[in-house]
Amino acid sequence: MIGPKVEAGRQRILVVDDHEAVLGGTVSLLKQQYPDSDLLTAQTAKEAQQIVANTPLELVVMDLSIPEASGETARTETGINLLRTVMQKHPTLNIVVQSAYTKALVRLKPAINAHEGGFTIADKSLSLKEMLIRVDWALQGIVYTPREMRIGLELKPEWLEVLKLAFEQGLQDKTIAEKMNVAERTVRHYWTQVQDALEVYPETGKNIRIQTEMRAREEGLID
Amino acid sequence: MKHRRHSFQQSLQQWLRREIGLWRIGALPGLLIILIVVIARFTGNLQSFETNLLDLFLRLRPSEPIDPRILIVGIDEQDIQTIGTYPIPDGTLAGLLRTLQRHDPAVIGLDLFRDLPVEPGHAAWVETLKQTPSLIGIQKVLADAGNRPIAPPRGLSPQQVGFADAIPDEDGNVRRSLLGLTDRQGVYQFSFTSRLAEKYLATRGITLENGLRDPVAMRFDRTELTRFTPNAGGYVHADANGNQILINFRRGRNPFRIVSLTDVMADNVPDDWIRDRIVLVGVTALSAKDMIPSNALKGRNPSVVYGVEIQAHAVSQIVSAVLDHRPLLNVWADTWEYFWIIGWGLLGISLGRMLRSPFKVLLLLGMTTLLLLASSFALLMGGWWVPVAPALLVLVLNGAGLTASLFYQHEQDLKAKLHDRQLMIDQAFDAIHNGPLQTLARTLRNLQAENRTTDPIYAELKQLNQELRSVYESMRREALSQDSSLQVSSDLELNLENPLHESLYEVFSHTLSRDFPHFKQLRLTLPTFEAIDDRRLSLEQKRGICRFLEEALCNAGKYAQGMTRLEVVCKQAGDRNIIRVTDNGSSDLQHQDKWAIATGGRGTEQAKVLARQLSGRFQRFPNTPQGMICELSWPIRRSWFKPLHFSANPTE
Repeated sequence: MIGPKVEAGRQRILVVDDHEAVLGGTVSLLKQQYPDSDLLTAQTAKEAQQIVANTPLELVVMDLSIPEASGETARTETGINLLRTVMQKHPTLNIVVQSAYTKALVRLKPAINAHEGGFTIADKSLSLKEMLIRVDWALQGIVYTPREMRIGLELKPEWLEVLKLAFEQGLQDKTIAEKMNVAERTVRHYWTQVQDALEVYPETGKNIRIQTEMRAREEGLID
Repeated sequence: MKHRRHSFQQSLQQWLRREIGLWRIGALPGLLIILIVVIARFTGNLQSFETNLLDLFLRLRPSEPIDPRILIVGIDEQDIQTIGTYPIPDGTLAGLLRTLQRHDPAVIGLDLFRDLPVEPGHAAWVETLKQTPSLIGIQKVLADAGNRPIAPPRGLSPQQVGFADAIPDEDGNVRRSLLGLTDRQGVYQFSFTSRLAEKYLATRGITLENGLRDPVAMRFDRTELTRFTPNAGGYVHADANGNQILINFRRGRNPFRIVSLTDVMADNVPDDWIRDRIVLVGVTALSAKDMIPSNALKGRNPSVVYGVEIQAHAVSQIVSAVLDHRPLLNVWADTWEYFWIIGWGLLGISLGRMLRSPFKVLLLLGMTTLLLLASSFALLMGGWWVPVAPALLVLVLNGAGLTASLFYQHEQDLKAKLHDRQLMIDQAFDAIHNGPLQTLARTLRNLQAENRTTDPIYAELKQLNQELRSVYESMRREALSQDSSLQVSSDLELNLENPLHESLYEVFSHTLSRDFPHFKQLRLTLPTFEAIDDRRLSLEQKRGICRFLEEALCNAGKYAQGMTRLEVVCKQAGDRNIIRVTDNGSSDLQHQDKWAIATGGRGTEQAKVLARQLSGRFQRFPNTPQGMICELSWPIRRSWFKPLHFSANPTE
């Protein structure tokens, strides 16, 4: 099921959910928040995959418990597989996962950590306001995963290196990229990931880099 | 106590039921093989296999001492050269008989057809026959393969004549000896063998009588010569006409004394070689063509012996049985033979049931086969020819391949069933998740939107939400406790069909949340889990790798004192896959040995076995400045000849 006609140059959002009522609710909420965007919908993994493959998208909001094709039973496994494929094929796509069952997502943690687009998880029982914040974060390329998905402080070695180069040597992203022999875009991706690991998220009136430095120092990650 | 016995009975019953269930499926092909082999034997398809094995066994027996009761006077090539004519003239034979008579043998058997006079010296020959009452001559009574019957030497009384006919098997070998038969005129005739034995034993006061168990059989004293039947031993529909017995050939390079005609004429033969002995006169010259194939004897010319030698064996076995209790060759009744075959077949099936490791099955199969051969051989030494070949067939066929693999397959089916059940539970949860939980979530959200979070109903709904979710968790645990082999630790189930690095991350995440003393001070974990090439790994190997990681992490949690930092790497580096766990715990030297001690060396041993399976390497070495590094690495391309199957079943 494909939503309103796609207009060129406008922000496109895909909502995946097999419950018509939930789907309708989410779509109308997003429509309100982003009146200038086109909203597309899919009720099965198959449909979603087709849309993702054929349409340039800014954001996918998806439920994990979906059926493979219409008429089949909705299963968390199907959503996980869809998510894995989408992240593999579109590493910069912004994604919001609507699921309360984060345990199932733990196994995708390596893929989430490697994902370069925004990625947030929003439980369906979240208030509408909070839900919209998560959507907004995803669109900004921010990563948010709930604390249950982490074991204490869990960092990839590259992220630690970014912290050290930035805060111990005061380097800029461009220089860090050169030093680490990666693209500048990758360094930015490391920042979003390490911020999620340190649980530093945007707050009005606060500088996120400085917040990150403070947390890193608190944790003894940098001297 | 009573209760315990009751529960023991119950579990025994359960075990029995399970076992019978397994046997019904797993043993079916095995039973089929037994049936096929039994039918093959019944229809005669195994006869040559069985008789050849009998020959082999007879040849393998240890040598017996020479039988001093028998002397063979073999007319050899040189004798014929010396005399210059063949057949040997009557006069020469008369001379030989007279010379032998001087030493007074118990009986002389003349294994030569002399139905026609051979001059010179025929008159002297007729005269000598009359004066030699201890002489037995031969005739041929059966008309077979274009050969007509041959009359006995003229001048011998009927009691001095025995027939020399032999009934070879289909492969040409002679394994049976004829004792008597009814000729075409309806007259019962004794064979050369039985005449000689009768005459010799008569000198010892033992007379020929009818059998006690079988009135048609012959009997000397207490030795009854059990008649050969068409289906005796390995034979099927054999020609059992007349009265026959199997020949238990005398084993040894020289079972009988053999002298030449010239030796006798020149008086070169010791008196006691002839006196009171059975003297057999026959041809031992290749040119005379009185030869019979016999694989049971190692002849000079492989497997061919002279007719007179076969006669010697036949007479010797009867006389030795009566006087020395040397065993004759006997067979079991058909029923017992089939019991024996089926028994070994069932043993073969149970090998596959008892052991799963192919090497152990092979080893035990080898031992059982040896036992079968040894016991069959021992029985043959005691005179019992048992069906070795069919028993060997059912044992090896059942033990080796089919049964083991089928039991294995069946077990796989059981696992699949468990998996299906897990799937059903997942589906049940999904149903709860998709229906009531969605409604609940919406309701909760609406309540929030209406700012009614202080409403008691809000709290109750939240509670309900929690309870429904905990139902799933408990169902999940319930299902997992049924079969521990499907899971890594107590409450983490992995779907090993997923990419290996995902499963490994799950293990990592799960293990670190477990309650180990040295995870408490852990301040930083540095996990790197990248996709690795796992296409060549079997599920069993993937499980092994997951267990390895779990074990390595658990050990860090248990023994890495003061560990604050833990680095876990799972990645592809060049053409190798690497799994590495690095801790910075106390560099206490004993720390590195604690793993081995705590697991009784099993953890390390399993890791080594796993590394071998993967053609890879397992290492544990100190980290600098402190801590331990535990690493498993293996090449992505594996050599083909390494066993693909991971048979060890690691337990928690």
